Amino acid sequence: MIGYILRRLVSVAVTFFIVSVLIFSMMHAIPGGPFDAGDMPVPEEVRQKLLAQYGLDEPLYVQYLKYMWGVLRLDFGVPFQSPGETVLELLGRAWVPSLVLGGLGVLIGAPLGMLLGMAAALKRNSWIDYLASAVATLGLTIPVFVTSMLLILTFSVWLGWLPSSGWGAPERWILPIVAYATIPMATYARYTRSAMLDTLNKPFVTVLRAKGLPERQIVFKHVLRNSAIPLVTVFLPMFIGTATGSIFVEAMFRVPGLGSFFVSSIRTRDYPLEMALMLMLTLMFCLAYLLSDILYAWLNPRIRHGGGRE
Amino acid sequence: MTVRPLKTADPALAAPAPPVRRQRGPLWLGWRRFLANRAAVAGGAVLSVILAMAILAPLITPAGPNAQAFLADALAFPSAAHWFGVDDLGRDFFTRIVYGARVSLTIGFAAAAFSVLIGIPLGAAAGYFGGSIDWVIMRLIEIFSVIPPLLAAMLLGALVGGGFWMIVFIAALFGWVQVCLLVRAQIKAFKEKEFVRAAQALGAGPVYIIFRHLIPNSVSPIIVGFVLAIPLAMMLEASLSFLGVGVPPPTPSWGQMINTGMNFMYFYWHLAVFPTVALAVTVLATSLFGDGLRDALDPTMGGR
Repeated sequence: MIGYILRRLVSVAVTFFIVSVLIFSMMHAIPGGPFDAGDMPVPEEVRQKLLAQYGLDEPLYVQYLKYMWGVLRLDFGVPFQSPGETVLELLGRAWVPSLVLGGLGVLIGAPLGMLLGMAAALKRNSWIDYLASAVATLGLTIPVFVTSMLLILTFSVWLGWLPSSGWGAPERWILPIVAYATIPMATYARYTRSAMLDTLNKPFVTVLRAKGLPERQIVFKHVLRNSAIPLVTVFLPMFIGTATGSIFVEAMFRVPGLGSFFVSSIRTRDYPLEMALMLMLTLMFCLAYLLSDILYAWLNPRIRHGGGRE
Repeated sequence: MTVRPLKTADPALAAPAPPVRRQRGPLWLGWRRFLANRAAVAGGAVLSVILAMAILAPLITPAGPNAQAFLADALAFPSAAHWFGVDDLGRDFFTRIVYGARVSLTIGFAAAAFSVLIGIPLGAAAGYFGGSIDWVIMRLIEIFSVIPPLLAAMLLGALVGGGFWMIVFIAALFGWVQVCLLVRAQIKAFKEKEFVRAAQALGAGPVYIIFRHLIPNSVSPIIVGFVLAIPLAMMLEASLSFLGVGVPPPTPSWGQMINTGMNFMYFYWHLAVFPTVALAVTVLATSLFGDGLRDALDPTMGGR
């Protein structure tokens, strides 16, 4: 098990390294730096001095090494768009709304999705099965900003029940949380349903029924446990989907979170902030990947003892 | 004891010759399964209507997509003359939506085509050769699964300034992974079969076997991969255009229109409602069609 974790750890580290190099070089290949003549009409010497001050005149690999050395000490530099603070401080501020809204969205959406999927699997072809399928399909196919738009149009514009944007008062949280919750809910509804159906069709369930075990005990004691593995593996795509969706949710509802800073950093070519956000997201995804692999191995003895992910 | 002959000698009692049973091919069976899936058929029907509208766009719309022909009626609400109203720049909104379908579908189909073109050779190589080639391609896929497509697409979009073909390129860059995995799985399953062994014994080279035998046997997963790549590309285009790094104006794009519509939604609801609904319906119809096709062509792949 420890060997397996170490192997996964190395693999994740290599992936992270490659992705960070890719992102770094891509970022610097973007035509037009922040101190281009068009954006900032200053004399050539001043421009050179500015470039030197931010270390933008050195070869790319030196810049990369210097940057990563800084990252190790949690120094992401100073965001161009708000030079009064460090990137870390800005991120520390932007984390809160994203974490609160996104976290509540996942905490509400995932269990609801699981309940829906379970009910659908136990009562096949009933109205709740169709409801689960509809929720799963709609949530997984329609982009988050379209869902958000439909929510705003219905509840703010048409019915006028809830405010459409902002951050602060709790009633402003409701719509973004619902928008955030769609992805986890849809993902878990679909995968819980198919995992439970898979297990319910296994011979051991028939044996348990033949033994005369009450249905409730079969479902809660045996079927649920044996359906847990796919739900762990699906955590990663769900997490990535939710994190990416946050950009659109925050743009639609004008929430001052990580997502909206990501958009503004791309628009203003704010390298330090953009780089920090991308690295942070990649690291988060890598860790989620690792975590789901380890949990998967822990739950599944066939992998725990030798062999890799199929 | 004598055994009675099984066939009676009396010709009158003999059963009539059984009707010649038509051999049903796998495609016919797949078609029957597809027709039994009501959601998929509905998705296909809606998708064909949207396709027809996109192709016939100049015939069913009153003005060009960028013609500011109705400036006097700018922001007019839906009416008999303008089914979806007029937008803020005096363009007939129904026209914009229909031409938006053109943009969305073209990008979807082109990106799916390129995904298939990249995914087939890589998937075939990984599945057939295995070993270190498979390892390299699988690590490549692992990297692509850790990079969130939308974020990378936003960076790339900023890198090259968006544009039609750029979006096709980005969507294909992330769309090939699924096709590659589907083709790889199929080829892995087929490469140990007798006919492949026989071809190898006869001295056929790997490239010949892959193109002559294995890829023709992978047509179903390729079709499925193609159709499922379409809605993903359409979603990517709409999302990028919504953020302003996609198809540049004045080319009509639904994502762009939703972004504009957001600013008008409290006063001119039609500018927000129609592009949102158009995008939702198109993506949903294409996905349902693709899911149905997958279940029909390969029931073992399951509905997940």
